[in-house]
Amino acid sequence: MLEITGLSINYGAIRAVRGVSFSVGKGELVSLLGANGAGKSSTIKCIAGALKAAEGSILLEGRDITAANPEQVIRAGLATVPETRDVFPDLTVAENLMLGAYIHRRDQVGNRQNLEKLHTLFPRLAERSSQPAGTLSGGEQQMLVIARALMARPSVLLLDEPSLGLAPAIVERIFEMIETLKKSGLTILLVEQNVNQALSVADRAYVMRLGTIVASGTAEEIRSTSDLSAHYLGG
Amino acid sequence: MKHAYLTALILIAVVAALAVGSQLLGIRLYDRIATNLLISLVLVVGLQTFMGNSGLLSFAHIGFMGLGAYTSAVLTIPAQMKGMALPDLYEFMTVLEVSPLLAMLAAGVVAALVAAVVAYPLMRLSDAAAVITSFALLVVLYTVMNNWSALTNGPRTLFGLPKTTDMPIAAVVAAIVIVIALLFKESRTGKLLRASREDEVAAAALGANIPHLRWRAFILAAFIAGVGGALWGHFITSFAPKAFYLKETFLIITMLVIGGANTVTGAVAGTILVTFAYEGLRGTEGALNATAIGAGQVVGLTEIVLALAMIAVMIVKPGGLFPNREIGHILTRTRRKKEIVS
Amino acid sequence: MAFAIQFVIDVLSLGGAYALMALGLVIIYGILRLVNFAYGELIMVAGYTMYLSSGSSLPWLVMAVLAVGMAVLFGILTDYAAFRPVRAKSVTAVLITSFAFSNLLQNAALLFISPRPRNVPLPEIFSQTVSIGGAITPVRNLITIAASIVLLAAVAFLMRKTTLGIAMRAAATNFTMARMLGVPANLIISSAFALSGFLAGVVGILWIGRIGTVVPGIGLEPLLVAFIATVIGGMRSLPGAVVGGFLLALIDTTLNYTLSQDLLKFRDAFTFSLVILILLWRPEGLIKGPASGQRT
Ligand SMILES: Nc1ncnc2c1ncn2[C@@H]1O[C@H](COP(=O)(O)OP(=O)(O)OP(=O)(O)O)[C@@H](O)[C@H]1O
Ligand SMILES: [Mg+2]
Repeated sequence: MLEITGLSINYGAIRAVRGVSFSVGKGELVSLLGANGAGKSSTIKCIAGALKAAEGSILLEGRDITAANPEQVIRAGLATVPETRDVFPDLTVAENLMLGAYIHRRDQVGNRQNLEKLHTLFPRLAERSSQPAGTLSGGEQQMLVIARALMARPSVLLLDEPSLGLAPAIVERIFEMIETLKKSGLTILLVEQNVNQALSVADRAYVMRLGTIVASGTAEEIRSTSDLSAHYLGG
Repeated sequence: MKHAYLTALILIAVVAALAVGSQLLGIRLYDRIATNLLISLVLVVGLQTFMGNSGLLSFAHIGFMGLGAYTSAVLTIPAQMKGMALPDLYEFMTVLEVSPLLAMLAAGVVAALVAAVVAYPLMRLSDAAAVITSFALLVVLYTVMNNWSALTNGPRTLFGLPKTTDMPIAAVVAAIVIVIALLFKESRTGKLLRASREDEVAAAALGANIPHLRWRAFILAAFIAGVGGALWGHFITSFAPKAFYLKETFLIITMLVIGGANTVTGAVAGTILVTFAYEGLRGTEGALNATAIGAGQVVGLTEIVLALAMIAVMIVKPGGLFPNREIGHILTRTRRKKEIVS
Repeated sequence: MAFAIQFVIDVLSLGGAYALMALGLVIIYGILRLVNFAYGELIMVAGYTMYLSSGSSLPWLVMAVLAVGMAVLFGILTDYAAFRPVRAKSVTAVLITSFAFSNLLQNAALLFISPRPRNVPLPEIFSQTVSIGGAITPVRNLITIAASIVLLAAVAFLMRKTTLGIAMRAAATNFTMARMLGVPANLIISSAFALSGFLAGVVGILWIGRIGTVVPGIGLEPLLVAFIATVIGGMRSLPGAVVGGFLLALIDTTLNYTLSQDLLKFRDAFTFSLVILILLWRPEGLIKGPASGQRT
C-alpha cells in the first residue's frame, strides 16, 4: 500500500533522515517509534508532500508520489494529521470539517453522510459545530484534526503523535478510536512516543533513531526486545 | 577581524582609484560622474548600516538625505543671499552662517535627531509593518519639505548654497563612511542585530533588545544620510524637494540590492555598477531623444531597464553580488585554500 | 445639522474608498505574509484602460468593466512577475521585486503613454451634486458609499460563506495545512491576487472619478492609504483593514475641517503623527489577525 525506499531528508546542510525504508500493507496499522529528534515527523511531512525528499522514493498503491505536492498527495488518497495539531483556529468546527472534504466538494451528499458517521464517532464535535476551532480543548482539537482528515475519505491515514500532551483518559479514547478506524479497514501509519499504547494497537512497528531505522518487526517482537525503551526511546 | 581591515583597505583603495582615475582622465563630465558616484556611495553605504544589519528595508533614507541638505542650506547660504533664496526664513535664522564642515555635521545630527524621535515606535512593529511605515515616513518627510516654505522655499528650487564639495572631499567622506559602516558591522550592536536577523528568538535570549538595536542602526543610517545630503547639496548648489523622493529611493535601493545589502562591499560594488549602467542608459535615452523617432519623448527607459535588472538579480541571486562575505573575507579564504592545496 | 450630514458623508465616502484600498492589500498580505508594493499601479492600470478605451464608442459601463478586468489581469500578472519567482527566497526579496515591478509599470506608462495627465471618461452623474438635509454633496460620494457597502458585503460573503473564501482564510492561518487538505496553493494565491486587483479596479474608478484624470503616479496615494490603514488595523485582519480605512478617513476628514489653510498642507504629517501615537499604544494594530501561521 505504502512503500518507502531509501528516503533521505535534508534541512539545509543538516540531514535529518538517512536512507529510511519501510512499508505499510493494506489494512495494516504500522507504528513508527523513536525518541525526540529521530526524524519521525520529518518522514511524515515528506510523505505528505510538505517536505521535499533529497533521495529515495515513496510509492502509494504502486504510484510514485515522491515529488508530489501536498494537494496531489491527498487526492491520491493519503491524509495526514500532523503533530502540530493544525486546526484553523478562526474557522468554526464545521468549516474545518468542510475543508477536510475539499477534494470532494462537489459530492455534497457523500460529505453529509460521512459527516454524520464522524459525528457519531466524535459526538463532541457535533455539539461544538459552530464554535471557532481555536476555542476547543487540546483533546477536542485532536479529534477535530483526525475527523477533518477522515472527511477526505482517505485510504491511508498518517497520524503523528496523536497522544501528545493529552490527559491519560483522553489518550485512552483516542487509541480506542484508532482501533475502530483500523477495524473499518483503514491503513494507518502511527507515529508515537507512547510506546506501550502504540504497540497495543499496532500490527507491526519500526524504531527510528538519529534518522535511520534501527529495529523492525511485529508489535510482539518489538515489545519483547529487551531494553528497547532504554536504548532507543530514551526511557 | 583581520579580514575586516583588509576589506576596509580594499574598499578605500577602490574609492581612491575612482578619485584619481577620474582626475587623470581630466574630463569635466567624468569628474561630475565620479563625484556623484562618491556621494551615492555615502548614501548607499549609509543605508547598508541599517538594512544590512537589521535585515529590514528602509524607504525613508532619501528623506533624511533631504533633511540634511536643507539643514546645511539654511546654515550656509550667505546672509546677504538669504533674503532672495529663502524670503520667508525665520528672522533669527537669517544671520546664521557657519562653515560648511560644521554645517555638514549639523545636517547629520538633525537627520539623526528626527530619526530618533519618529523611528522609535516604528522599530517595535513587525517586520512588514516597519517597512511600510518607513515608506509612509518618506512621503511625510517629502510633504514637509515641500510645504515648509520658510525653511525650504517650498516646492521651488532653493539656490545659493556655496559650492564647497569637490571630488576629493566626496572621496574622503566616502572613505570615512565605509570605515564607520565596517566598524558598526563588527560592533556589538551590529553583531547582535545580524544574529537577530537569523534567529530572533535566540538573539532575544542573548539579551538583545531588538527594537532598540534596530533603532540605533536607523539613527546611524539617518546621520550618514544627512551628511550625504549636505555633501550633495554643496555639490549641486541648487535643488528642490523632488530630488529627495521615489526616483532617488528606487535608485539607491537598486544599488544596494544589486550589490548585496548584507555587505559593505556589496554596497560599494552595487553603487559603482549601477552608476555606470545609469549613466550609460541616460546617454542612450538622450541619444534616442535626439533622433527623429525619439523626438524628446523617451522618458523612463532607464528606470524600466533598472527595474528589470533588479527583478532578475532577485531571482538569480537574491543576496546580490556579495551576499554575505566582505571582499577581505573572500580573499583571505581563497588564499588559505590555495595554501592548503600547494 | 447640514454640517453634520456633510461630515458624515465625507467620512463614509472617503472611508469606504480607503477600506477597499486597504482590503485589497491585506488580502495578499494575510495569505502570503508579503507586501505588494505594486498595488497602487493596479489603480493606474484601471485609469489608463479607461483613458485608452475612451476613443471607442463603448458604453461607459463596458469601459468600467474592462478597466476592472485589466486591474484583475495585472494583479495576477504581479504574482507571476514579482512574487512567484522569489516567493520562497525571502520577504525582502519580494518587497524589492514588487517595488521594482511598481516602478516598471509606472515608467512604462511614462514611456508609452505620457507623463502628463490624461482625461478619463466619466458619466454625467459623477459631476452632479445633490442636496441632502441642506448639505450639498457630490453624487459620486454617494456612489462611493453605495459601492463600498456592496463590495464590503460581497467580500464578507465570499470569505464567510463560500468554499473558496473559507479555504482562503484557512490558507491565511496555515498555508501548508490547507494544502494538505487538498486546497491548491496556486488557486488560492491567484484568487487572492485577482480579488486584490478587482478591489483596486473598482476603487480606482471611484478614486479617479474625483479628479477625472490619470497620471503615472496616481497609485501612490492609494498605496499609502492602504499601508497606513492596514498598519493601524493590524496587518493581517480583514476587518482590521476596514476599521483602519474608516479610522484613517475620520482622521483625515477631521483634519480637513479643522486645520487652517496653512496647516492643511501638512495634513499627511499630522495623520502620520497620529498613526505613530496609535502604534505606540498598540504596536500590533487595533485588531489582531488570525492566531498562528507561518509563511510559505
Ligand atoms: N525546520 C527544520 N529545520 C532544521 N532542522 C529541523 C527542522 N525540523 C526538524 N529538524 C531537525 O530534524 C531532526 C528530526 O526532527 P523530527 O521533527 O523529524 O523528529 P521527531 O522524530 O518527529 O521528533 P519528536 O518526537 O520530538 O517529534 C531533528 O534533529 C530536528 O532538529
Ligand atoms: Mg515529531
